[in-house]
Amino acid sequence: MNNDKSGNHTVTDYEKIFHPKKLAIVGVSAEGYGFGSGMLSSLLTIGYEGEIFPVNPKGGEIAGRKIYKTIEEIPGQIDFAVIAVAAPLVARSLEDCLKKGAAGAEVLSSGFREIGTPEGRSLEDDIKKVARKGIRVVGPNCFGIYCPQSGLTILPGAEFPREGGPVAFLAQSGGMANDFINIGKWLGLRYSKVVSFGNGADLRETELLQYLGDDPETKVICMYIEGVEDGAAFFDVLKQVTAKKPVIVYKGGLSEAGQRAVASHTASMGGSKAIWEAILYQANVVQVATTWEMAQVSLAFAMLPERAYKGIAVAGGGGALGVAACDAAEANGMELPQLKAETQEKIMAVLPKPGSSAGNPIDVANPGVPPFILKQVLLHAAEEEKVDLQILMQLLYVYKAIQRRENAKSLREATPTIELADMMEDVQKKTGKPAVLVLPNNRQGLNDLDVEEIRREARELFLKKNVLAFENLTDAFHAIGQVSNYYRRRMERTGA
Amino acid sequence: MDFVDKAVKEGRSTLSEYESKQVLAKYSIPITKEVVVDKKDDVAKAAKQVGYPLVMKGSSSELAHKTEKGLIRVDIRNEDEALKTFDEFMKNMKDIKNPAILIQEMVKGQRELVVGMTRDPQFGPCVMFGLGGIFTEILKDVSFRKAPLEKRDALEMMREIKGHKILDAIRGMEAANIEVLANILINVGKIGVENDKIKEIDINPIILSKGQPIAVDALVVVG
Repeated sequence: MNNDKSGNHTVTDYEKIFHPKKLAIVGVSAEGYGFGSGMLSSLLTIGYEGEIFPVNPKGGEIAGRKIYKTIEEIPGQIDFAVIAVAAPLVARSLEDCLKKGAAGAEVLSSGFREIGTPEGRSLEDDIKKVARKGIRVVGPNCFGIYCPQSGLTILPGAEFPREGGPVAFLAQSGGMANDFINIGKWLGLRYSKVVSFGNGADLRETELLQYLGDDPETKVICMYIEGVEDGAAFFDVLKQVTAKKPVIVYKGGLSEAGQRAVASHTASMGGSKAIWEAILYQANVVQVATTWEMAQVSLAFAMLPERAYKGIAVAGGGGALGVAACDAAEANGMELPQLKAETQEKIMAVLPKPGSSAGNPIDVANPGVPPFILKQVLLHAAEEEKVDLQILMQLLYVYKAIQRRENAKSLREATPTIELADMMEDVQKKTGKPAVLVLPNNRQGLNDLDVEEIRREARELFLKKNVLAFENLTDAFHAIGQVSNYYRRRMERTGA
Repeated sequence: MDFVDKAVKEGRSTLSEYESKQVLAKYSIPITKEVVVDKKDDVAKAAKQVGYPLVMKGSSSELAHKTEKGLIRVDIRNEDEALKTFDEFMKNMKDIKNPAILIQEMVKGQRELVVGMTRDPQFGPCVMFGLGGIFTEILKDVSFRKAPLEKRDALEMMREIKGHKILDAIRGMEAANIEVLANILINVGKIGVENDKIKEIDINPIILSKGQPIAVDALVVVG
């Protein structure tokens, strides 16, 4: 992409930035911990695929590698650089990387605009000047790029998955990037690219969003935004990208009406919160309010077929499932359609009696009904045209009681997770409609940690079988509702 | 925009109600039939032109809050009342520069809406829609869109407010003319996009008269 601010760039070589074959780390120190040596250690642990060239004027060795005294000394060209030198030395290092052919660099160093001094601002301007000559800069004051396909990682990030996936994430905050990847790691999210761009002196939200919009590895884009550089340009790119793929935005720092002195009612009511929410909605952005919600919703986007869902069938046993399900569906723009009498008869024929009921939600009476029976229930319910998606509630902790009753050796042996996973996978294949699991756990005390362990194991298994699983019904309906609203509005806008 | 340039040149930050509505009219926004008079001799003719019953309002760019100053009288039914009101208002405005009186058609309708424009420091001109009259400030039931607006944006923002049922056919009242309302919203956005000197707009209220929206009061802020 052209950098219109300068006109000096030709095309940004994102391939070299996200998948560098030769990488310099400028500012490693052989003694003690610094960002440079920290990054080297993280890259070695995660298994970065390319060649690494550590640089420090003192030379020497680190982790069995030669430390080059200058960037110039590195043999041949480099693709990308991690810069971790003191702020006044950053611009000079970037110049040297540019001469070595680097397409980009991430600057971990701080001491720029964020410290609020004229000197800090001036040093950041120096970075911008070098960037305009043709090296794209991520940062400064950032944690960098995580790209599991190439093995680039953000600090500390040594234990992030190498397995890639469809979700991209952009944030100024490196801490937010770490949180999101850590949640995603156990929740089942896998990432294409994560960029923490710190002060965003050069590459930032709008350009990166446009790139991800065209990136075939990315299917879902998440962003944490505090502020944007150019609101109008950002809005235009948002609109373009949401016509192609979902963009989920967690807007931080939303305050009520602004404090500007205004004469009209309109201006007094158009505070930043109202305007931001309106703008995001107008661009068909999926809005979330927490990192947890962003993770849940992006998982739903990553796993559910791309369409709107209206009619939901819910099956499960125990509790006030019925009322809760109806309320949650309605609150998120969906409904639980009444099943036809003949469908209800077919379902009742397989369910234990008495206590079951085959309306919608389908109450299976006993939370421990075996998977082969549940399968019949789901297959019958899916025959209904009005049902777009099914949710099965499974209280895995009930198997703790079953374990005792049946003298099973372990909770693992007593819990039919494999049967459940196979069954759900099969139902999805046979019906062509998503079947989603909800796995609430009301036993989270210290003496029930085995329940939690089984639940986490089960979750991983379900995800492997492409079965979406949520912690509770509210999260499930909320996430599915967000998916539905996005595709419904996209269809209205673009017809696809 | 003559009125806008003139006001800016004079160092004013607001247009009078009459001037504000002339700006709206240029963008095909339906406004009340109205005439400005500053001589008593012109009152009778103007009133006849507008038609009784009518509304009289003090008119000056220095008057942002007419209600609080007692400079609005509605349901004036004949020339006598009109002349009496003229004298009274002019007396109340004797300390104001260039005082005048706006003689305005009285629009009947129970439903009041607000449409506005504000400039967001990040996103530029944004259009507001909501419940009008006294409810604007009390309920703050409003929605926003960044200009320029597509028709879909206009339709969506009308359905978005909590009180959107006010636009339906209710209690024997006709449904609001959604097409006209959508055009008002689109055109207010257009005013924002095309006129840098217009900083803010309040059209409050827009009254639904047999379902037809008419801008009854307006304030344009310039700078």
